[in-house]
Amino acid sequence: MHLRLAHVTKRFGDTAAVDDISFDVPRGSFATLLGPSGCGKTTTLRMIAGFYDPDAGDIVLGGRRINELPAHRRGTAMVFQDYALFPHMTVRGNVSYGLRLAKVAKDELARRVNETLDFVGLGKLGDRWPNQLSGGQQQRVAVARALVLRPEILLLDEPLSNLDAKLRVQLRWELRTLQQQLKMTFVYVTHDQDEALSLSDWIAVMNAGKVEQHGAPWEIYYRPKTAFLADFVGAVNLVPGTVREVRGGQATVQFGERSVTVPVPADTSLREGGEVKLCVRPEALGLAPRGATTDGAALPGTVARKAFLGDLMRYWVTIDGREWIVDQPDPGASTPLDGEVLVQVRPERVHVIAG
Amino acid sequence: MRSLQREPGLLLALLAVIVLVCVFILYPQIRVIITPGTGYIDFLSGGTWIRSTSQSIQVMVLSTTTAVLLGFVFAYAMVYTDMPWKPFFRLIGILPLLSPPFVVAASYLILFGPRGLITYGIFGQTISVFGLGGIWGVQTIAFFPFAYQLIADVLSRSDARLEQAARNLGAGPWQVFRSVTLPLSRPGLGAAILTTAIYVLEDFGNPALIGGTFTVLPTQAYGLISGFGDLPGATAVSTLLLALALILYVAKIRLDGGRSFITVSGRASSMPRPPVPVVLTWACFVACLLLAVVILTVYGTLLVSALTLNFPNNLSFTTKHFEYITSDVNGTALQNTLIFGVVAAAFSAVFALVAGWLVERGSWPGRRVLDFLLIMPAAIPGLFFGIGYATAFNEAWLDWLDRGVLIIISMIFWNIPVGYQAAVAGLRQIDRTMDEAATSLGASSLRGFRDVLIPMLGGSISVGFVTTFVRAVTTLSVVIFLFTSGTTVATIRIFQLVNDLNWGRATAFTVADIGMAILALGGIALLSRGRIALGAARA
Repeated sequence: MHLRLAHVTKRFGDTAAVDDISFDVPRGSFATLLGPSGCGKTTTLRMIAGFYDPDAGDIVLGGRRINELPAHRRGTAMVFQDYALFPHMTVRGNVSYGLRLAKVAKDELARRVNETLDFVGLGKLGDRWPNQLSGGQQQRVAVARALVLRPEILLLDEPLSNLDAKLRVQLRWELRTLQQQLKMTFVYVTHDQDEALSLSDWIAVMNAGKVEQHGAPWEIYYRPKTAFLADFVGAVNLVPGTVREVRGGQATVQFGERSVTVPVPADTSLREGGEVKLCVRPEALGLAPRGATTDGAALPGTVARKAFLGDLMRYWVTIDGREWIVDQPDPGASTPLDGEVLVQVRPERVHVIAG
Repeated sequence: MRSLQREPGLLLALLAVIVLVCVFILYPQIRVIITPGTGYIDFLSGGTWIRSTSQSIQVMVLSTTTAVLLGFVFAYAMVYTDMPWKPFFRLIGILPLLSPPFVVAASYLILFGPRGLITYGIFGQTISVFGLGGIWGVQTIAFFPFAYQLIADVLSRSDARLEQAARNLGAGPWQVFRSVTLPLSRPGLGAAILTTAIYVLEDFGNPALIGGTFTVLPTQAYGLISGFGDLPGATAVSTLLLALALILYVAKIRLDGGRSFITVSGRASSMPRPPVPVVLTWACFVACLLLAVVILTVYGTLLVSALTLNFPNNLSFTTKHFEYITSDVNGTALQNTLIFGVVAAAFSAVFALVAGWLVERGSWPGRRVLDFLLIMPAAIPGLFFGIGYATAFNEAWLDWLDRGVLIIISMIFWNIPVGYQAAVAGLRQIDRTMDEAATSLGASSLRGFRDVLIPMLGGSISVGFVTTFVRAVTTLSVVIFLFTSGTTVATIRIFQLVNDLNWGRATAFTVADIGMAILALGGIALLSRGRIALGAARA
């Protein structure tokens, strides 16, 4: 384990911004703290960096407890949301600053600065001033400034949020490639679920100071433990229901007048009579005209609205008075549906959330 | 708190600041307040304080009212109209801030005194110009530029977009002003009025020169010491003066959080304001022109007097007054003024910067107390501050301490609020992530302060430096109890020469003193490529 947080708590006045959280980040992984604003993710990152002192708990980096270590001796270089480039230093001045503090010899300093600038594709811009750079270039300087120190761990606080959408996606891939080439541990904070899902090896979703769930992106997306998680990470249909039967790795859940039997893990905590939510991603549902033959369960409904999103057509279908979201991929391949339709539910794509 | 334990350098800096503030700001004040002891009873039962207090308040109300009215007209004209000659009027508004306020009284005596150019020379009259009327008129002219700077600052911070919106919704210029601008800037205007009132209340030079038998608190305190050697009485009067000033100051802090002060500073350009009627623009122009004529007469008189043999009777050109003020003890006085001013401004700027950083960026308990102590000298009348230093540091065991050094120290700490507020304002504009970026790259707090914040604070530092310098070279009341013959300064000499009715030499000194302030401001403006547009000072 490279980074370990154990029962870490941070209070501001009476409110606990971070409330007894624990997790481990393996060496060389791209770890992301994801959550809405005010969930405690940035506070957590800042405690790792040493800008806040935790009120309780341990922060362990590389096997060493760093709670008492001053921020400037932690080797936790950080990339800031607004980059925080020093406006009175050139790109080279910014990137070499940490090395100068560490009293690195002149030759080595020059070599490492050049190497790092080349690495992030800024080899020719070393003598520019920060205000002469575009947003994307500034972001790369901020990354280079931190990477050049070869830190234990790189902390990134929403580093892409100030960029326009297209650049954001491009730099996302650059960051991921960089991290995989360096095999360095990144801890990344974002509120953008697309960013988290596409970048990370490991995600911790935070809400109200707690880690609601952590694990691989796939797990978070398809097997959310709570309704909050399901809703926060992507569009979702959450349908309340009641468990009627649990047997042989399968559970039958009744919702409204209907019911569906879905596979559940062997160690499931679902019990008969328990209140649950059915969690189905819109793209896991199928849509067919009324009267078509379908496999799996087919629910009759009416199209209430639809929206063309380019790569898919999103339908809001009313079934028994409740609206379901259904996504149809490649909408150009067929004529849009309207009026009475059938929504196909494949039981193995339905996830059951307790409570 | 824990960051202090981890960084000994930080803890040392903080302790140094606390010790210096206690020794040089808090201790002298306490000494003054406790000096009378049982003398308070004699003093209060003596009853002389009743007259000087009521006269102080009377003249404060009168002078503040007129100074604020004139200042408001000037400020409104500068901020809201597009009248011609604005750069000229801006200079006119700065000039008085670069001079000791009491030179207005000197000019007034030259023009309207018993042998005055206008009263005697033109009308052949010898009227009494001393007393309430004279003080009122002189303080109005001396302090309206201060009121103008404070009010212009408040008005220019009012949001032009809101005024545009009000016009868009159908309000006329007057309705916009009454229903949007005024309500929003009321706290700022209130604070500006109270600040002007404090300046007037503390004014020592003008009442001392033309008050005659009309005593106010500062002149009474001065008279008790210089005339009767009555230190208990003088400290009791000073304490009364401090109490009045503090009441005004606390009221002001409640309005603006203690964050307004006249400093030399860069002016942000704002978006255009909705136009005002042409008639109003021209009325403002005429009013400003009249005020400019008055200001130019005041300072022009001083300049002409300094360059003529015996103004106004003998108008032949001469440089002998300037020769006089650069020779012997007078030359020393000029040299002292410059050296004291530069050294005090430099130390004050550095100390204020470190203190501002510790308070603004720190997270240790008690920083609000330190913050209050650091802005408190703004409320302390210069005379009180001077008496404090004379009382606290006039000890036998401190005889080794050079008087010049003591004067410099008094100037450093009396002016701390200037540099401190400039530093705090500058730091607030720098995001904390700048500090954190330096820290995460391996810099200790002190190192980050040196490498990152100080270079970025260049503007604030020079603002603090110039304003402190100007205030140091134009103060009379702080040094009047501290100077010796070897450590006299220009303002003291001006005061003495005016009392001797030696107009030529007094005005030559004045011109030299104002010249230093103008050079300092001009130099900094040049260094910062004209970004600094505003000047200010206070005696």
